[in-house]
Amino acid sequence: MNDTPRSAGIWRHVPAMAYILLVATVLGLAVNGQLVRRAFHGESMPRADAPLTATIDAADQLPLPVDLAEIQPLAAAGAVVVDARHAADYAAGHLPGAQSLPLGELDARLADFRQRVPADTVIIVYCGGYNCHDSFTLGQRLLAAGYQDVRVFEGGFPLWRDSGLPVEKGAP
Amino acid sequence: MSALRDLLFHLARLAAGAVFLYAAALKVANIDAFAGNVAAYQLLPYSYNYLVAAILPYVEMITGILLLFNVQVRPASLLLMGLNLLFIVVLASAIWRGLDIDCGCFQQSGGGEHVAPLAALLRDVGLMVLLLISYAWRPEPRRGIF
Repeated sequence: MNDTPRSAGIWRHVPAMAYILLVATVLGLAVNGQLVRRAFHGESMPRADAPLTATIDAADQLPLPVDLAEIQPLAAAGAVVVDARHAADYAAGHLPGAQSLPLGELDARLADFRQRVPADTVIIVYCGGYNCHDSFTLGQRLLAAGYQDVRVFEGGFPLWRDSGLPVEKGAP
Repeated sequence: MSALRDLLFHLARLAAGAVFLYAAALKVANIDAFAGNVAAYQLLPYSYNYLVAAILPYVEMITGILLLFNVQVRPASLLLMGLNLLFIVVLASAIWRGLDIDCGCFQQSGGGEHVAPLAALLRDVGLMVLLLISYAWRPEPRRGIF
């Protein structure tokens, strides 16, 4: 029989638990160190599942991430907010003043967009949040099309809406 | 009743170990998406979501393997109970704040299934029971000759 009380027993396991955490941390940083380093240096994230050609073509030209709090000041200073989602999603709700430019229709609509928006405009692209990569891809395409300052709002529409900021509705 | 208790202990540790190893494998396969799912909880500054996403799956992986192989079962289940309690608190805060997000517990890709925080919280409570059994009912190793 074990005569140590159970409460004392819990603390007996602390060193082993700390060891498990240490090994997991070392292992996790060994495998994902680069990803974490990039995140802490504020670099944009080329997604593992982004189209390979897009990553290579625009390797030296990646859209920068933009924070929720920066959007309204940037927009007030003349930045154009671009919604990369389907027109139906746009109609159901979008950031105030955002222009609809679905990634799937870019080829058909890029010329028109370029006529309306000069190349030195700051552009903020967003889509359906962290799981949606269309904004990143659209950002790369706009950079390739000659826009000089393209940023991606990774939190996208869900983060904007859930933060209680005003949402606009209606078709483009 | 000792035989039944031992059987339940082994079933609980195998089930809990398998669940966490499975969860870890899905996260390791898509760390980016997991970081996004962590970020969706809006609890950590941007970069720290990636730090959590980089390390957490390996904690689940190691403890899951330990439970499956019946090695260091008590430290592993204690650690998982702590982690699980953290998950429950975080999920509760997501419910409290009315966030419409995916749990990010298992499948990381968006689109498909969307496990709501409340369902995930209840699942974690069930896991907690398995972990408690794994911790408390582990048979004492026999000491001495008899």
